[in-house]
Amino acid sequence: MAAGQPNRLPHGGRIDRSQPLAFSFDGRAFEGFAGDTLASALMAAGVSLVGRSFKLRRPRGIVGSGAEEPNAIMQIGEGAAAQPNLPATRVELRGGLNARPTRGWPGVRFDIGAVNDFFGRVLGAGFYYKTFMWPRSWWKHYEHAIRKSAGFGQAPDGPDPDRYEHMNAHCDVLVAGGGPAGLMAALAAAKSGARVILADEQNEFGGSLLASAASIDGVPAAEWAASAVAELQGLDDCVLLPSSTVFGYHDHNFLTIAERCAVHPGSSNGEGVRERLWRVRAGQVVLAQGSFERPLVFCNNDRPGVMLASAVSTYIDRYAVLPGRRAVVFTNNDSAYRAAISLAGAGAEVAAIVDSRFGGDGRTGPAGELGARVQALGIPVLAGHVVSDVAGRRRVTGASIARWNGDSWGNVRSTIRMDCDLVAVSGGWSPAVHLHSQAGGRLDWDESRHCFLPAEARQAHFSAGAGNGKWSLRECLADGLRAGADAVSKLGLKPVAVRAPDTDADAGENPIEPLWRVPAARDADRCPRQFIDFQNDTTVADIRLAVREGYRNVEHVKRYTALGFGTDQGKLGNINGMAVLANVLGKAIPEVGTTTFRPAYTPVSFGVCAGESVGELYDPVRTTAIHEWHEAAGAPMETVGQWHRPWYFPRDGEDLHAAVARECLAVRKSLGVMDASTLGKIDACGPDVVEFLERIYTHNVGRMKVGRCAYGVIPGEDGMLMDDGVMARTGEHRFYLTTTTGGAAAVLDWMEKWLQTEWPELEVYLTSLTDHYSTIAAAGPNSRSLLEKLGCDIPLDKESFPFMTTRPAVLAGMRVTLFRVSFSGELAFEINIDSNDALAMWRKIMEAGAEFDITPYGTETMHVLRAEKGFIIAGQDTDGSVTPVDLGMNWLLSKDKDFLGKRSLERPDCLREDRKQWVGLLSQDGRTVLPEGTQLIGDAGKPAAMCGHVTSSYFSACLGHPIALALVAGGQQRKGETIHAALSGRDPLPVRIVSPVFYDPKGQRQHV
Amino acid sequence: MSEAGPPRPRIAISVRSGRGFLNLRLNPRRGQALEAAERILGQPMPRAANTFTAGENEVYWLGPDEWLVATGAKRVSALGSELAEALGGFHAAVNDVSGGHVELLVRGADARTVLAKGCTLDLHPREFVPGQCAQTGLGRAAVLLAAGDPSTCTIVVRRSFSGYLRRWLAYAARPRGARLPAL
Amino acid sequence: MLLIECPWCGPRAETEFSYGGEAGIERPADPYALSDAEWADYLFFRRNPRGAHRELWHHAQGCRRWFGVERDTVSYRIEKSYRLSGAGSGRPAAAHIEASKEKRR
Repeated sequence: MAAGQPNRLPHGGRIDRSQPLAFSFDGRAFEGFAGDTLASALMAAGVSLVGRSFKLRRPRGIVGSGAEEPNAIMQIGEGAAAQPNLPATRVELRGGLNARPTRGWPGVRFDIGAVNDFFGRVLGAGFYYKTFMWPRSWWKHYEHAIRKSAGFGQAPDGPDPDRYEHMNAHCDVLVAGGGPAGLMAALAAAKSGARVILADEQNEFGGSLLASAASIDGVPAAEWAASAVAELQGLDDCVLLPSSTVFGYHDHNFLTIAERCAVHPGSSNGEGVRERLWRVRAGQVVLAQGSFERPLVFCNNDRPGVMLASAVSTYIDRYAVLPGRRAVVFTNNDSAYRAAISLAGAGAEVAAIVDSRFGGDGRTGPAGELGARVQALGIPVLAGHVVSDVAGRRRVTGASIARWNGDSWGNVRSTIRMDCDLVAVSGGWSPAVHLHSQAGGRLDWDESRHCFLPAEARQAHFSAGAGNGKWSLRECLADGLRAGADAVSKLGLKPVAVRAPDTDADAGENPIEPLWRVPAARDADRCPRQFIDFQNDTTVADIRLAVREGYRNVEHVKRYTALGFGTDQGKLGNINGMAVLANVLGKAIPEVGTTTFRPAYTPVSFGVCAGESVGELYDPVRTTAIHEWHEAAGAPMETVGQWHRPWYFPRDGEDLHAAVARECLAVRKSLGVMDASTLGKIDACGPDVVEFLERIYTHNVGRMKVGRCAYGVIPGEDGMLMDDGVMARTGEHRFYLTTTTGGAAAVLDWMEKWLQTEWPELEVYLTSLTDHYSTIAAAGPNSRSLLEKLGCDIPLDKESFPFMTTRPAVLAGMRVTLFRVSFSGELAFEINIDSNDALAMWRKIMEAGAEFDITPYGTETMHVLRAEKGFIIAGQDTDGSVTPVDLGMNWLLSKDKDFLGKRSLERPDCLREDRKQWVGLLSQDGRTVLPEGTQLIGDAGKPAAMCGHVTSSYFSACLGHPIALALVAGGQQRKGETIHAALSGRDPLPVRIVSPVFYDPKGQRQHV
Repeated sequence: MSEAGPPRPRIAISVRSGRGFLNLRLNPRRGQALEAAERILGQPMPRAANTFTAGENEVYWLGPDEWLVATGAKRVSALGSELAEALGGFHAAVNDVSGGHVELLVRGADARTVLAKGCTLDLHPREFVPGQCAQTGLGRAAVLLAAGDPSTCTIVVRRSFSGYLRRWLAYAARPRGARLPAL
Repeated sequence: MLLIECPWCGPRAETEFSYGGEAGIERPADPYALSDAEWADYLFFRRNPRGAHRELWHHAQGCRRWFGVERDTVSYRIEKSYRLSGAGSGRPAAAHIEASKEKRR
């Protein structure tokens, strides 16, 4: 049975009473209405305790009505679709909603004074550093308790069932914020023909107009907002995004917006979109995000029932909820008088307006219309007074009021005590300058408004409305219009004249007087806690402590006291904290400055950041033209770069090792076939192609005859090996270059860079053929027989088609290019074929090869075969710090020409004899396969100096023992020497340094 | 799954089969190479960056000295030989890259909106007009995007990325109900 | 995300480009005439100015051209982008001055 709604007003508000919605909070059933937020529904139901504070476990209630809410932080939903850390003020109520406070331990309603006392004593400023980091070994015990008690919410326990997406958009004018200023700016821009995007974080446009008693152009403000929205909807090229928070203002007028779509978490079955990330490139931006009301800093100002005055108005006027029956309004400016008027209008008793101003001139309240209205309502005004403390623990029960002499740091004695269940506070307003600051814009302290105002912009943006320090509705509307027109002019469009609407809203406010800390009966370190940051339990005393301990810079104080951390990012407390810090330091506020504003303005879900890039779309999967055959054959895939390559082809439940041993032996004894299509392939042609390649490769390219192949390496200018591959001269002025799978793009870019930036006089064209050609490697003693059986139009014997040559041919009736090259050391042919024909060719090969027991093999066997032969894998055996000399490739380095990197090989560091050099390793025990990456040490003693590491390591089925390749200091001169492999959990293993060529060292098998 | 409820995006994605492609590189400022190629192609080569010409073939600008010729698979071999011959006297490169590309056709009132989910170009029909093309990113793949009429785009993607891209397009075109503002 | 003007393709999102380091590094005509220290200086040492910086960018996902960009390392504002003349990998090409465009922010 749902609880009633004792605080719901009988009429009014923008809720739909015909649509009751059942929901649960902290395990209890409640009911609210469509149009409610979770916060307004809880308040209507009379729930005043919504969580406990971070460190001190103090009971907390709802303070605000928007993104600034620090206390009502909720876990929404269960299981995989759970959403942690949402402020109840931003959760639209829906039927079946299930909410729990994330900050509930030890139970929202369960009060333990002892816990409070304990935490209170140890958790001062800098508690992370002082209490919990020492002794270090204790942290693991503290951490559990702290995480549990701090209540950060719980991550969903399974993959998110919902969809998220990204949307790239472009516009002339992006308007952030759809209140009075934003609506006017959007109208001004859209009517002038600009492409406009208008985004507002609430589900309804209008902002403050939705809870305003004012009228605009003779109609109620909310009605005017609706007609403005309707007008915008009718204009071309105007995109309206409600429930959308502009949370990031990045470089070059790129902004990010998180849109909460209509889909409820967990309800879409992947059919709808839960949230959408808009990535907007805007010509001009109008920032109209309004302003945040500041709390006042007095003793026990965190008690449930102490609320922002504007929030009180919003709950009454927008949601028809009465936050309290008997209220004290405490303010240092005029705006809170409206809350008093709202309260009185809703039938609450306003015990008094406690106004810190007018203490000296004997007046009892503000002049002007507001003053007259509260007077007419019979609301007493206590001018020159402050609320210095409140009574009550789980709900405010009374306020202690004292006369104030203007000294924030003196002591006061309270002379008046008033019973109340609500204290509506206003310490002035802070424009939401977050996006302006993220964009690099400057802030100026305004000495009359007592807030930071957006000053000079660094990108193309204008601030407008309350976010620009324009507090009155009349000013807001006019400022929005001005900003919209300015943006349009900057774009070079002609602004269409739009009339500023007329409003009956109050004008002529009395100035605010600063009140950063309310004095108490005792001094600031001994009085009851005066909270600045509710979410992090940062108090005035904490800031004073930080200063005493030597912190001066606002960024340091922030980190030491945790001021402004947390999900609300200090939207309520930051300015008060900086002002208090300035006070304590004896500086002016602008001297202390603000901390850096960074995206995101409000928390953003991981899901919306990922967008479509989840699951199989996380990263592109590149596949070869033969992929479907590999999949059908049941080959597990190995990811190489973005490619999915068959790793091995298991037969009858074989594991990796059994399959690889079989595949290796098949290649050595008969015939194996591999899909090598992922190799990078580049056509290089032009009159200067030889000269160009001479500079890129280390060997004598010009001496290659047409039809010849050569193994080539490409060093960087620092002499370190960058990539390697076989290249073939296919014409007088034409070469066919291959690269490693992972190096394809980098090599092409490298070559183009030199051609375009350094040697534009060289006439060479490079064209990538990686995807066009598929490559099938047929390797093994029977590979020639295979090709003969397939039917080939050229002679394949050793004399006609020798090792390291290439020929165009027709094979099995298809046009191919054959390369007699070998990465296994066996007789082998690489068949290059148009990818459109590759699968058909592969099938013919498998069919024709049956009589040779043809064995498809994957990347693992390829690695073993090449390691047996001592062929490197660039990127596995090299790491950007290995020269061709280190690899024993001196024979590849031409003495007759210069090439990129050659000069560097003469640098003293490259000539060091103790450089790590590439060698083979044999485990002395004859059976241990060394883990790749194993560190090598000279002798087995401890401590031992490291002298190298294992780069590749396999069990060689062909040789019957493990083999390894390693980089060892001075290794090439140490062959025969025994060193040790440092193995985890066992004694160092003796290993012998040998040549990296383990099999067929004379290379006879590939020449047959 | 019921088909009731809000509509899915109006988009149709298809693969154009039977296509052949030539990659053509030549220096447009050198001699009469461009004109020689145009004689063989039977249509003008696009001179302006990021445009294409449509005739017997589509010729896409890829770079200041690089073009992609899309033609019928049956014709590509002969066309390639003819081009290579005609450009024999010039510094030029003609490569058959038919196996390396897949051409997709995306049509429908929401086609551009779906593409905008993964493409940073401004695809507004006023900004990306028929005859324009661009090499850019779509999802996490590099593509050549060409504008037909406001509801049609051609995508040419490298073969090895085509499986990913088709999955991406299918995924992006799937969700119903979400409000898709016209771009 | 930066908006970078490719001198051929116009303004494009940063994701289409790759960064190529400082522009205007002139490769010594005869590397062997340099001392090891001078060679190392050419190889490894780059300016890291606060303010105007000339750098190379590559339109990797577009026309595959390398080009020069003058970017402010504090404001990230791009003052201009330009085609290259070749040698020196980063000097604006005299013949292509028409391509040097004032960049919007």
